[in-house]
Order: sequence, then C-alpha cells, then structure tokens
Amino acid sequence: MSSAPLLRRILHGRGIWPAVPALAYLFVFLALPMLTLLAFGFVTIDRGRIVADTWTLGYLEAALADDLVWRLMWRSFWVAAVSSVLTLLLAYPVAYLFAEAKGIWRTLILVAVVSPLLTSALVRAYAWIVILGGRRGLVNQTLLSLGLIEQPLRILNTDWAVLIGMTQIHLPFMILPLLAVLAERDRRLEEASLNLGASQTGTFFRVVVPMSVPAIFAGLALVFAVSYTNFIVPQLLGGGSYSTLAVQVYEQTIVVLDWTRGAVLATILLSTCFAFVLAIVAFGNRLARWNESAA
Amino acid sequence: MTKNLAPIDRIGRVVLGVVAAFSLLLLVAPSLIVVAISFEPRGFIAFPPSGFSLRWYEHVFANRQLTDSVVVSLWVSLAVAGITLALGVPAAFASVRGTFAGKAAANAFLLAPQMMPGMVIGIASLFFGAYFAFRASNAMLILALSVFCLPFVIRIAMARLAGLDPRLDEASANLGAGKLETFVRVTLPQLGPALVAAAAFTFIEAFDNVTVALFTSDVRGRPLPVELYYLVQYDSTPAIAAISALEIGLSFAIMLVLARTVGLERLGR
Amino acid sequence: MSHIALQDIAKSFGPVRVLDGCSVAVDKGTVMTLLGPSGCGKTTLLRTLAGFVEPDSGRVVVGGRDITDLPPNRRQVGYVFQSYALFPHLDVAANVAYGLRVRRVSQAETQARVRKALDLVSLSAYADRYPARLSGGQQQRVAIARALVLEPEVLLLDEPFNALDAKLRLSMQIELRKLIERVGITSIFVTHDQQEAMTLSDRVAVMRAGRIEQVGAPIDIYDRPRTAYVAAFIGRANVLPVDIRGGRVAPDPAIAAARADGAAWLVVRPENLAIENAGEGPGWHGTVAFATPQGATIEYEIAVGMAEPLRVVALRKVGEPPAAVGSPVRVRAVDPAACVVLGEGPDSV
Repeated sequence: MSSAPLLRRILHGRGIWPAVPALAYLFVFLALPMLTLLAFGFVTIDRGRIVADTWTLGYLEAALADDLVWRLMWRSFWVAAVSSVLTLLLAYPVAYLFAEAKGIWRTLILVAVVSPLLTSALVRAYAWIVILGGRRGLVNQTLLSLGLIEQPLRILNTDWAVLIGMTQIHLPFMILPLLAVLAERDRRLEEASLNLGASQTGTFFRVVVPMSVPAIFAGLALVFAVSYTNFIVPQLLGGGSYSTLAVQVYEQTIVVLDWTRGAVLATILLSTCFAFVLAIVAFGNRLARWNESAA
Repeated sequence: MTKNLAPIDRIGRVVLGVVAAFSLLLLVAPSLIVVAISFEPRGFIAFPPSGFSLRWYEHVFANRQLTDSVVVSLWVSLAVAGITLALGVPAAFASVRGTFAGKAAANAFLLAPQMMPGMVIGIASLFFGAYFAFRASNAMLILALSVFCLPFVIRIAMARLAGLDPRLDEASANLGAGKLETFVRVTLPQLGPALVAAAAFTFIEAFDNVTVALFTSDVRGRPLPVELYYLVQYDSTPAIAAISALEIGLSFAIMLVLARTVGLERLGR
Repeated sequence: MSHIALQDIAKSFGPVRVLDGCSVAVDKGTVMTLLGPSGCGKTTLLRTLAGFVEPDSGRVVVGGRDITDLPPNRRQVGYVFQSYALFPHLDVAANVAYGLRVRRVSQAETQARVRKALDLVSLSAYADRYPARLSGGQQQRVAIARALVLEPEVLLLDEPFNALDAKLRLSMQIELRKLIERVGITSIFVTHDQQEAMTLSDRVAVMRAGRIEQVGAPIDIYDRPRTAYVAAFIGRANVLPVDIRGGRVAPDPAIAAARADGAAWLVVRPENLAIENAGEGPGWHGTVAFATPQGATIEYEIAVGMAEPLRVVALRKVGEPPAAVGSPVRVRAVDPAACVVLGEGPDSV
C-alpha cells in the first residue's frame, strides 16, 4: 500500500489528507489575519508595521472608557435584537404556510424566499431608499394620495428605516431553517394533540412551536449576528450622521484611517457579538432540553 | 375540516395567512419596485415610473467605469468559485468520510469563517496584507472572499456526501473498481448537481459581496459592489435601478438554470 | 475440499466482539445460509468474505486460494447488497456493465455479456431504465445480474428479500433458487428468516452472538437441534425442564434419553404433542389456557405449572369445537423418537 501513488492514498477516503489544503488555506488567510487584527489593537502601528516594544492595553482601556462606544454598542444591540424578533414573527407564518402548501404553491413560496438571497444587500437597501425616501418615496406618495397624512412622514434616516431594512434583508435567514424543520415535522404529534382535545390554535402553540424551538433559536442567533455586524444598512438607511458600532469600525478603518482604533473596535464588536450569540444559543438550549440527546 | 372550526382557530388561520402574505410581499416587492423604476424615462426616481424607456440601461452600458467594474467582478467571482470548489470538495470528503483523530476540531475550523462577519474578514485581510506590505488589491479580494465563501461550498458538499449511500462505494469495489475509479465513476457524478449549486451560489455571493470588498478591493479596478456602494450614496438617478435590475436578472438567470438542472427544492437546503 | 472456507474468523469493533472465531465451509455449487437474529454477526461474516471488513484473525480461502489480504476490488466475489446499492445515476444496462467497464473489457464484448446477463434475469426490456423507476423485485434482479455478469467464483447475498413485500418474497425466493441452480454458482445467503433459509439453502449455519451454533441441512437442524437456542430459532419448539430416570423422561416415559439420571431439557415441537383426556397416566397434566382455531389447525396453550405454557398444535376437524378453556387435559408426545433431550436449557431468562 505504501507504494501506491499519492493521489490514490489521498482518495483512500479515511485520512485527513483531502482537508489539508483547505485547512492550510484557512490557517494562512483566516487565522493569521485574525491574529493580526487582534494584535493591531494592542500596539502602535506605523505604515502597517508593528512598532516594537509599544505593546499596551491603553487603546482598549480608552475605548472602554469612551461613552460613545457604549452608546453605539447599545444601539447596535437593540436594533439587532428588535429586528431579530421582528424577523421571527414575520418568518414563522411563511415557513408554516410552506409546510402546509403543496405543488406549485410550495415552489412559489420557495422562489419568494430564496430570490432575495440572490440579489445583493446593496440593491435591497437601495430599494428601501426609494420606498421610504422623502416626499416622492413610495410610502409617502401612497399615504398622501389616500389622504391619511398631510405632511410626508420622515422615515428614511431614522431608526425605523434601519429596522425595516435589516428585517427585510435578513428575513430569508430566518425562514430557511424554520422551513426545513416545519416541513419535515412529525404530524402525528398534532393529530395526537387534536385527539386529546386541543384546538388547532392550541396545538400550534403547544406542539408545533415548541418542537421548532431549536430552529427558532438557530435563526435568532444567525439574524442577530448578521444584524449586529451590518454596517451597510445603517449607513445607507440611517443617514450620514447615524452610527452604530459596526459603522464606527468601518469609518475608523477606511475613512479616518486610524487602524489601531479600528482594530480595537472590531475586536469589541466581534467579542460582544459572540457573547450575545452564545447567550441566545444557551437560552434556546435551556428551552429545548428534550433535544439534548439528539445532538 | 374547515367547516366546524372553533372561532379561535378561524382567527388563528386569518392572522397566519395575513402575516405570511405580508412577509412574502415584503420579500419580493422591493426587487420588483427597483426593476420598475429602472424603466423611468426622466432623470429622477419615481414610482410608478412615468413611462417606459431603456435610457438608463444605455447610460449604464456607456459608462466605462461601470462596465469595467462588471468585468472585474466577473473575474473575481469566477476565481472565488474555482478556489472554493477546489479546496472545499476534498475537505468535505474528509469531513464526512474521514476517521482521523481531531476530526471534530478540523470540521469546526473548516466552518469557522461562517461565524465571521464579512467586515471582520475584510479588515483582518487588509491588516494582514499590510503587515507584509501588500496593499488592498483584487488578488487580496479573491483570497479574502474565498475564505468567506468556503464554508458555503463545504456545507453543500458535506450535506450531499452524507446523503450518499456508502454501500455504493462498496458495490463499486466489489465490482472491481479501485478507490480513484470509484470516486470518478460513482461519487463525483452523484455529487455533480450539488457542486453546480455550490458554485453558482458562491459566484452570486462573490459577485454581490460588498462587506469584504470595501476593505480589500483595488482602488482603481473596483468591483461592481464597491462602485455601486458609492453610487447609491451620491447618485440619485435611476441609473442605479438599472444596474440593480441587471444584477437581479443575472441572479435569476442563474437560478432558473439551477432549477432546471438541480431542482429548486434542493436549493433551499 | 470445500470451495469456500472461513477459518476461525474473529473481529471486534471497539469493545464489541462481533465475530468470535467463526468457521464455515461451503462445498462447490451448493447454497449455504447464515441464519441468526440481527446483531449476531452474520452480515459482518459475509462482509469479511467480500473484503469490506478486515478480520482481526482467521483466514478466508476461496477455491483453495487464501484471499484474506486481498482488497475487495481484487476478489472474484459477487455481492448482492441489502436493498441492492444500484448506482442511481446509471441505467440498468450501465449498472450491469459497470464491472466490465472497470475491467476495460471491449465495448462489443461488454454489450454482449450485458445482454446475456439481462436475459438471464428476464430484464432485457428494462435496459435503459434508471433504478429509481424499477420495482423492488426488478432492482433485485439487476443487482444479481450486475454480480453474475463478472462470472464470479462465489455469490454472496445479504438479506436479498428484506426490501421486498411479503407477497413477492416467496415467488422471488423460488425464482432465485432456480436461477442459482441453473448457473451452478457456490452461494452464501444471509437472513434472519428461518423459512427463507429452508427454501433457499442446501445447508444452514445458525449463528448466535458471533459464533456458529450449528451447521447442517435445514431439515436435520429442525429435527435434531443441538441446543435449545437453535430449537427455538428454527421453527417453534417447547423447551421443557424434565427429569431423567433410568434412561427415560420422567413425565412421559415413552421418550427415551441416552443420558445419566438427573435434570435435563426436552425439545418437543408443538405439532408433536397431542391432547388427551384428563386422568391418571403419563404425560403433562394441566388445563387449557387458550385456544386459537387457525383454519387447518388449532393452537392451544396448556398451563402445566411451568413458566411457559405448553404449545400444542392439533389438526382441526370441521364442526368440532376446540377444547374449552379451563378444562383439565393431559398432554403426550405423539412420536417419542422425534423428541430431543438436551443437557442445557435456554439461557437463564
């Protein structure tokens, strides 16, 4: 066997060999860059180079002592939290409808859910500028012509616009995990519930929803993470003076060119994001302890 | 069944249906509105459009900077799809079929990029490159985007590989085929549709991505998403709608081809 | 000299000893069945023969050649998988042609041999169908044709009827038996169904927990089980604790026992027991606990004060009601010579 050609040995199918190129690639182009990013927040940078003997916790301490950082973090948090919950409320009925639908309806729902994934977030943010923006925005046009309002509403460049944009853009991320779980659920459990005297609505909330708790929290964690770190939507829909922690990271790095500050803020963004996601996952696991052995 | 529903169940059904309809509208309406606006003959945005014209499409195609950025994005996306397939498919093979020590850790590391926001991967690549005096360039963009997209390919390939019956490999061996021949004749053909889907999704993701691109792309030969990012902020003509409509059209063309070859049901997974 | 010889095969998966020194020999041109409950190691033994499992110790000899160390793709061993493992992306003809293509057999010869193999299993009309569009029975025949087209030395079949519905099973079993006889190939089946083993094989090896418990012709095993386990697995049997006194079984001295006095176990088939009127005399005294008319026969459970009731199968006569539940009866062996006396009973339950 040892004289077999290398390719044959690689394809032997039991060893780590086939994964080595990918692992090496990720080590060089993910792990090392991440270490660099981390390091840049704790040292003086001069033209991309670390200046020797300037290691300090000072930048991190300064950032944590800065009121602005905390205010931005709070806004990032609540925007992400509210939009995750909104996403869930909008996603669940769609996923449930998909599970009940048949034939062509299933296909249509699936197209509606997947197609936004195929159009860039930029395009969709742009669409919201058009829909929400100014007097000529679609929303204001409609409301004005219906006589429901007299003055155009100011939605664009407010928290509302950011929330709406985030929710719509991340909706498919919530629907897809729910869709799979709801479509493949064991319907005998619901029949059992009805047989035991529960109403359909009662069955929905007592059986269907609890059974989908793992998928719900997987979706919540994912949507929270992508919302918390999204800087495009706040920039485009929140307006020039609107900022979040993620927006700050971008501006410090690309506009202000203060890489040390950018690195510190990015580290704070990433670590708080992980902490929140872990908390969401942990809470979900507690709610779904019956699921533990299945993992 | 529907005749004797309790009142609460009727209300429940209505609420469910209304919310679902609203969500579906929310999902598709913005894209449709953008497409409609792109046919606006005047110089500013309006909905519904005041007429029908292809003026802004002509404008887009006449814009050298834009067409150049499309070409850049096409090359970048092709390169990313190629790299991620070449790295991801064998990795998925080891992840599913392998029995080596530390497999769980290796799998976790292979899927680690999906926990990283594009922005963080972008900045980290920018800093790492700077450390070696590499400036942001489209080569850096390709390398960073490949990191970003790799878990995508690996996950699709893993799901398909895990679904394959391992007895087919044994059957092949029993009929006289070696490992390599079995891979080529049995495994690869069955993996095919999944790989096409993975390549297409990676291509679209790389083509649309702005969060990584803003940090790593070349200042001169900018890819389309970066070009668009600046346009959206400073341009108020329907030209952006025309570009967006073209992007939507491209994505839909790819999806249609996929639906024909792979089946839409499988894309959702 | 036997055609296939598995010699003292042992195999452990982690801490679990799946095969514990199995030896089986199969004569050329005969059909052997490995019979046992799930988890007894029968499939692992078959997979060892095909080379999918490397034994920890022991030798695999086919046609006088030791193939223990050959990889699976260099063995001349046809294998029909449970649920068949047909390649879903290849049509029937391409599935059958697979092994020939791998062997770089010329195009013309491949076509001719595939046609012949499909004729053999009467599937010529389905050559360009994909497996997903075949019935279970047709899939089975494709799997057999795919193995036989390579003219292997032996044919192995892993639960080949498991994926078929019960109605189809019996006719397919007979068809398969005829096919194997026509081809004259040495074959080994794996099954957990004793009726299937009886229909298909010249010899049966009953397996239990990684060991071969008894090998022999199906009817010999039925008539002369060597252990209580075999008796209960092949057909139905009453396994009763008895006393031996002076070479005779105590409750029914008509039954001879060639062993020393003391406790022993008696194996007697339900159809070899008969119900007689209660009263003094040899046999087991008890009451009818349950009676089930089954058409041609009546099945009785007779409570005789042991852990398990006695099972008795009696021929039914039209118009004659079964013995009433609760009525006292005496049970005797019909043919004392067909009873088997064993030293050991079933495992302590």
